[in-house]
Amino acid sequence: MKFIQQLAASILNYRDRIAFHINGVDYTYAQFLYKIEGIRGSIRSQIPDDEKLIGLVTHDDLESYAAILALWFEAKAYVPVNPKNPAERNLQVFRQTDTSFVLDSKPDGSLNQFELINTAELGDESDLSVLKPVEDPSKDLAYILFTSGTTGLPKGVPITYSNMQGLVDAIDADEPFNLAPDDRCLQMFELTFDFSVVAYLFPLLAGAGIYTIPQDAIKYLYIFKLIKEQRLSVLTMVPSIINYLRPYFGEINAPSVRYCSFGGGALHFDLAKEWSNCLPNCQIFNYYGPTEFTVYSGYYPYHKETANKSYNGIISTGSPLKNVHYLVADENNKEVSDGITGELCLGGIQLTPGYWKNPERNKKVFFNYEKNGEIIKYYRTGDLCFKDEAGDFMYVGRADFQVKIRGYRVELAEIEYHVKNVMKQKVNVVAIDVLNRLENAELALAFESNNFEIDYIMDYLKEQMPPYMIPSHIEFIAEFPHSLNGKIDRKKLRTYFKL
Amino acid sequence: MDKEQLLLKITEAFSKVLEHNNFELQNETTANDVDGWDSVTHMMIINEIENLFSIKFQLMDLMNMQNVGDLVAVLEKELASKA
Repeated sequence: MKFIQQLAASILNYRDRIAFHINGVDYTYAQFLYKIEGIRGSIRSQIPDDEKLIGLVTHDDLESYAAILALWFEAKAYVPVNPKNPAERNLQVFRQTDTSFVLDSKPDGSLNQFELINTAELGDESDLSVLKPVEDPSKDLAYILFTSGTTGLPKGVPITYSNMQGLVDAIDADEPFNLAPDDRCLQMFELTFDFSVVAYLFPLLAGAGIYTIPQDAIKYLYIFKLIKEQRLSVLTMVPSIINYLRPYFGEINAPSVRYCSFGGGALHFDLAKEWSNCLPNCQIFNYYGPTEFTVYSGYYPYHKETANKSYNGIISTGSPLKNVHYLVADENNKEVSDGITGELCLGGIQLTPGYWKNPERNKKVFFNYEKNGEIIKYYRTGDLCFKDEAGDFMYVGRADFQVKIRGYRVELAEIEYHVKNVMKQKVNVVAIDVLNRLENAELALAFESNNFEIDYIMDYLKEQMPPYMIPSHIEFIAEFPHSLNGKIDRKKLRTYFKL
Repeated sequence: MDKEQLLLKITEAFSKVLEHNNFELQNETTANDVDGWDSVTHMMIINEIENLFSIKFQLMDLMNMQNVGDLVAVLEKELASKA
């Protein structure tokens, strides 16, 4: 696979340059290589060839990134879990993927039923002048990420090496975005979140530096610190993160930043405009793309004077990348005319082979459609869009009850599922998203009942779901508001929450 | 205003945002010691304190804050520059 060879070449070429800046410490590409080769040695001696899906406990350290590259150079896939998530959820992930080997640089004993490889002590300096990746059949998987599922079980999205090559080719073909070895790039994402892939992959391919956020730091303040002290030049971020800095935008002037890529949630026009004033030399990209389509499928190049197309205050998602097919479809998978709102469907080489062991879900969201004499497999994203006369796609809203919390996809039904699973009271409960004073989405639970003790419910939720999925606001409402057609009026329900 | 009074008022801001008062703020207190004090509520607390004292923190100061002691020190600095 071409990008794997390119990664190997880049690591060898730039051995004296900074690859990572983690928790205040710089690591060169040579140090990175030493770690990668050490971990590869253990993989080769301990893991059988046919074991492809390897667990990775993600930390903010060099070992976690080296483990990913080591697995790729050995033609295996990483299945990341976050040690801050409940143990039960992480076990569910490994059970679903039949994972038996796990790489971890800080084992805490919670995963002792697996074959653990402690990556902290590993390193190999026998010969750091060559780096030969194992040749891999392109259909093999590169990673599997799990996102919130409506049935209470996390949903696995497998991504192949071909999917990734498709992403790399599409970004390479795109003129405006080109990283160089002297770029200093922000990597603010947990490795269980697919946005992290572009935040480490493209800098590594270019021999650039990757600047991470310590796990217990307040992200938005640390980002400001990195921009200021390390003069970052490339930012990749979710819009909600800079909402927190908004009251202080007047103090931010970062001429070093040349690219700022947004993704993982709607980018509001007024926020983009104010933020662009803080970055006088910066091009802003509003990327769009679900995990199922290998991070990015397209983007809109925002510019406060010349390109600021928006709909309902939300910046356009723009047009598809090279070799990506967009189709706006109705409920029957038929294309609608330009200007008409429908569900955005994506086709092309970056599309996942399908949800992991989930034929029912796959039948629902993937379909074949003939366009210009070619049959293409499409994925229904759940995002409602229309195409304008210039060919740009405008985001309108969601077709279902999925919300974005700090960039993470959350199925409200999954939260309701877990509440109902443990709740002794027989009352209605609804999970909704509400906006806080900084205009960021938070999760709330509404019970149709008089007050009762819910500590046991919250304790249970914390055992089942990652921290970002735990509702932070609770209201008891005697009678839920209903719309004319008899459904619970979620819009009105939100007004009961005073934030 | 002495340190004790400052801490009392800061405590008020914390309870308002966090919707509980199961904590005691001391110089060494960090987010790990207070239930619900996380990166999301942090900015709300800061905002609440700014409103209570009619001041505005500087991002440079917020950036290096590690614990309640740092918060009090920065607040004292702001109050002094206002006076």
